Amino acid sequence: MKKNQKFIALGLVAAMAMSTVACGNQSSGETPQPETETQTQTPAEPAADTQAEAEPAPEESAAEPAAESDGSYENCTLTISWWGGDSRHEATLAAIDAFKEKYPGIEVEATYGAWSGWEDSMATMFATQTAPDINQVNWNWLEAYSADGSAFLDLNQVSDVLDLSQYDQGALDQCVVAGELQAIPVSMTGRIFYWNKTTFDKAGIGTPTTLEELMAAGETFKTVLGDEYYPLTLGEYDRMILMVYYLESVYGKAWVENGELQYTSEEVQAGLEFIQSLEDAHVIPSIQTITGDGAESLDKNPKWMNGTYAGIFEWDSSASKFNAALEEGQEFIVGDYLPDMGDYQGGFSKVSLGFAISETCAHPKEAAMLLNFLLNEDEGTTIMASERGIPLSTAALANCQAQGLLNETVAEANGKVLAWVDYPLDSQFEAAALKSSDGVYYDVMAGLSYQDYSIEEAAEVLIDGVNEALSK
Amino acid sequence: MATFTKKMDKRNLSMERKRKLSDFVRYLVLIAVGLVMVYPLLWMIGATFKNNVEIFSGIGLIPKNPTLDGYRNAMKSYGGDINIWKAMLNTYSYVLPKVLFTLISATITAYGFGRFKFIGRGALFAILMSTLFLPQVVLNVPQFILFTKLGWVDSKLYLPLIVPTMFATDTYFVFMLVQFMRNIPKELEEAAKIDGCNVVQTLISVIVPMLMPALVSCALFQFMWSSNDFMGPLLYVKTPAKYPAAIFVKLSMDADNGFEWNRVLATSLISIVPSLVIFFLAQDQFVEGIAAGGVKG
Amino acid sequence: MGKNKFLKRNVGFLFILPWLIGFLVFKLYPFAASLYYSFTDYQLFEGITKYTMENYVDIFTTPKIVKALKVTFQYSFMTVPLKLVAALFIAYILNFKIKGVNFFRTAYYIPSILGGSVAIAVLWKAIFKDDGLLNTLLGFFGVNGPSWLSDPSYALFVICLLRVWQFGSAMVIFLAALKGVPEELYEAASIEGAGKWKQFFSITVPLITPIIFYNLVTQICQAFQEFNGPYIITQGGPRNSTTLISLLIYNSAFKNYEMGMASAMAWVLFIILMVFTVIAFLSQKYWVYYSDEEGR
Repeated sequence: MKKNQKFIALGLVAAMAMSTVACGNQSSGETPQPETETQTQTPAEPAADTQAEAEPAPEESAAEPAAESDGSYENCTLTISWWGGDSRHEATLAAIDAFKEKYPGIEVEATYGAWSGWEDSMATMFATQTAPDINQVNWNWLEAYSADGSAFLDLNQVSDVLDLSQYDQGALDQCVVAGELQAIPVSMTGRIFYWNKTTFDKAGIGTPTTLEELMAAGETFKTVLGDEYYPLTLGEYDRMILMVYYLESVYGKAWVENGELQYTSEEVQAGLEFIQSLEDAHVIPSIQTITGDGAESLDKNPKWMNGTYAGIFEWDSSASKFNAALEEGQEFIVGDYLPDMGDYQGGFSKVSLGFAISETCAHPKEAAMLLNFLLNEDEGTTIMASERGIPLSTAALANCQAQGLLNETVAEANGKVLAWVDYPLDSQFEAAALKSSDGVYYDVMAGLSYQDYSIEEAAEVLIDGVNEALSK
Repeated sequence: MATFTKKMDKRNLSMERKRKLSDFVRYLVLIAVGLVMVYPLLWMIGATFKNNVEIFSGIGLIPKNPTLDGYRNAMKSYGGDINIWKAMLNTYSYVLPKVLFTLISATITAYGFGRFKFIGRGALFAILMSTLFLPQVVLNVPQFILFTKLGWVDSKLYLPLIVPTMFATDTYFVFMLVQFMRNIPKELEEAAKIDGCNVVQTLISVIVPMLMPALVSCALFQFMWSSNDFMGPLLYVKTPAKYPAAIFVKLSMDADNGFEWNRVLATSLISIVPSLVIFFLAQDQFVEGIAAGGVKG
Repeated sequence: MGKNKFLKRNVGFLFILPWLIGFLVFKLYPFAASLYYSFTDYQLFEGITKYTMENYVDIFTTPKIVKALKVTFQYSFMTVPLKLVAALFIAYILNFKIKGVNFFRTAYYIPSILGGSVAIAVLWKAIFKDDGLLNTLLGFFGVNGPSWLSDPSYALFVICLLRVWQFGSAMVIFLAALKGVPEELYEAASIEGAGKWKQFFSITVPLITPIIFYNLVTQICQAFQEFNGPYIITQGGPRNSTTLISLLIYNSAFKNYEMGMASAMAWVLFIILMVFTVIAFLSQKYWVYYSDEEGR
C-alpha cells in the first residue's frame, strides 16, 4: 500500500508540474489527469486488501458451535481454483454452494477458466506465492512447482479432516514429492485402445485383439478400403506412450525407476523399431500425413470423425470426447490390450489430476474440510460425479455407481486400464522439456517419421533428453 | 501548334477510356481482395449455426442443419457470476480508461519529444524507442512480481492494466504521434506564440486539433488491441465476476472433454461486434476529421 | 535568472516526465531484471544457482535456436515488405473517390480485428490442409498442390501469409497520411500530364515517407516479435520449420520455466532489433523527407 501511495504521489507531482506550466484559462485541459488519479486511489485499497490472505477471524470463531462431529471450524474465506469446461465449472460451483450451506461462516471464492493459458497464469502465482488456498493441479505440477515441497502443504498434516483411507496407497504415493503428500489424487487414468467398429466392419474384419491382428489390419485396410484408411492413428506423444507400454510388455521393467532410465540403447531402439514397423505396415499414418490433415488434435480431425482413421490409443478419461466427435452412425468401442505384445502386462496409469492446498493457506483445516466434502462425502460427490474422471475415492466411486452417475464408456475404459497396467510412472515422464510440443518426445517421434533421424539417432536423442530431465 | 492540340485531344480521349478501365480494375481489385478479407468473418457467422462435425468437415458458409444452440448456450451464465454481457461490460470498463489515458499521456510525451530541445533528449528518445523491442514475454514475470508487491493483482479496478497507460508506456503511440507531429508546420505554432499562447495553450489549441486524425487512429488501435488482449487479463484478473470477454470466450473450452464449437464461436462473434461497429463508425471521423494539410507540401 | 533560463530551455523535459516515471517503474525494472537473469541459470521454481555466460554461448551453438533465428529472419524479410506494399497499395486505391469506401475499409480491417481468434486457427488450417480449399482450387488447374502444413519447406509460407493478410492497421495509418497530401499537387501534376502511377511515385510516396518510415520500423519490430501466427496454427512445426524466436522464448519461459535462457534469447532478439532500427534511422536521411527539416 505504501508503494501505491508513493506512486500516486509521484503521479500528482508530475501532473502538478504540468499545470504550473499551463496558463490560466486553458489549464482545464490538463486537470482531468490528477482528478482521475485520485479517483483510482480510494477504491484501490479494498481491492488490495482482498488480495492479502484472509485474516483469521478471532471474535466469531470462538463462539461458533461445532457443526460436525469431527470438530469445530473457524469462520473464514477460502479461495479455490480449477480449470475445465462448462459442466465442470457448473458442478463444482454447485458443490461449493452446498458446502457453504452446510458450513455457514465459511466463504469460498472460486477462480476458474479454460485450460488454455491456465498453467502459465498459475505458474506465475506459484512463483510469487499468491496462488489460491486450494488448487486443482496436474500431477506433474508437484514436481514442476514444488520439487522441494515449498508450494503445497503436506496433506498428512490435515489427515484428521481429510479422509485419506479412501485412496489407493499406490496412487497416494505418486503424489509424494520431497517426502510430503502434496496433493490428493482425484482420479487415475491410463491409455487404452478405442476402435471405430463401423470401419472395421466395412473392411470385413473384427477389431484387433492381438498385435498380430492389428498388424494384418494395416494391409487389409489398404487393399479393401483404400490408401487413406488406417486402423490406428498415433500422434507424437501417443507414439511415445505406446512405445513405453510395448517396452514394458516385452522387457517387464518400468521405463524409469528410482530416477534412472531402465532401458539400454538397444532396447530403446527396439521400441522405436516397433513404432516404425507400425508405420511401415500401414497400421498408422505418418506424422506428416496427420499434420497435413490440418487438425489441432485427433478429436478435431475429420478423418477420425468420418472413420477414415479407425482407432486411437488415448486416455480412458478422453473416451467421451472421442466418441462425441464421431459422425452419426459410427460405433465406438473400448478396445482390449494386446496380450501378444510381450510376456508382461506393460503400461502405466497415472494420477490425472488432484487438489493441493497451498503452503500459504491460512486455514488449512477448513480447506481440508472443503476437499473432503468435494471428494469423499456423498453430498459433494453426488454433485461432482465424474466431472474430474472416474473418482478414485472408494466412497465417491461407490456413491456415484449407486446413483448411476458415471459415463458407461469411460467407466468401462477406466476399469480395463486399472485392471491391466501395473507399472509405476516416473513423475518426470511428463516434464515439459519432454512432453511439450517442442519437447524431446515430439522431436524424436516426428524426426523418426520424417526420416530426419535414423533409429539409432532417435534413440540417442531420446535417451539424452530423458537423462537430462531426470538429472534435474 | 495544330498537331499539338490534336495530340492533346487524342490523349484526352484515350485518358477518358483509360480512366474508365482503371476504375473497373480498381473495383475488381478491391472486391477480390475484400472477399479474401471478409470470408473468415462470414465463415465464422455461418459456423455459429453448425454442429461440431460440420465445422471441421468443410469450409462452406451455409450450415446444412442450422442450430441455434450456439447462441442459446452463449447466453448461459456461470453460477450467476458472469455472462457474456457482463464480460463485455468488464472489458470496456478498463478498455475505455486505457484509451483515454493513452491519448493524454502519449500526446504530452510526443509533444515534449517532438517540439522541444532539452538536456538528454536524444538519449531519452533512444531509450523510448528501445522499449519497443524487448519482447513482452520476458517482461511478464518481473512485471507480475512488481504488481504483486503493489497488491494490484486481481484489483477490482484493473489497476495493472490501466495505470501503466497513464505514463505513456505504450510506446508505439508516442512514436506514431511524434512522426505525425513532424509534419505539422511550425508556422502555426509561431503564430500562436505571437498571439500570446504559452506552450500548453499551443499544445491544446494548435497541436491537438492538427493531430486529430492520428489521435483517432491511436484511440482505435488501443481500443482494438486492448479488447483483444488475452495475456494481460489472464495474469491479472482472477475473479470470474470480473473476467473480460477475451477470457470469458474461452471459459467453456475444455481440452479434456471437448466442447461445443458453435458456442465458442458465437461468444467470440458477439464479443467482436463492438470493435467492428466502432471501427465502422469511427473511420469517418478518422478520415474526414483531417485538418487541411497534415502533411506539408 | 540563470535558473529561470535553464528551466525555460528544458521545459520540454516536463512534458516527458510522466513517460520517464512510467518507464523507470514499469519498464526499466523488468528490463534490468531480465538482463540480470540472462546471465544466470534462473529456473522459476529453483531460483538462481550460478552466474554464467552459458546462455549466450548456447544460443549460438544450439542448432534449434540457431534455426529459430534463421527462420525469424526469413519470416521478417518476407512479411515486412509484402505487408507494407499491400497496405500502401490498397490504401492508395481506397484514397480515390470510391463508392462504398467505408465498407471496403472495414472489410480490410476485419482480419486485424479477428487477430488470434480460434476461428482463424480453424479456418486457416482448413484452407491449407492437404485436401483443403487451396489444393482443391489448384486441382482444377491440374496442379497437384504441396502439403502446405506438413512439408517443412512450405509451412513458413503459410504463417507469412497470415501476417500479410492482417495488413489492416498499417493500411489505416497509410490512409491517414494519404489524406493529408494536398489535392492541388495531384491536380498540378495531372495538368502536366503525369499518369496516376507517376503521381504515386513522384508525389505521394515522397510526401508520406515519414509515415512509411513509421510503418517500416513498427512492422520490423512486430515481425521479429511475431508469436501468434505459429502459436495458433503450427505450434512451430513441422520439424521446427515455423519456430520463430519469440515462440521459443515463450516456450522456454512458460513451458520449461528457464527464465535465464529465455531472458538471454530475448536480449539477443532485442539487440538484433536495435541494429535494424539503428540502420533504419540512419537510412532516414537518404529517403525520408520531414517538413521540419531537422532529420535525425
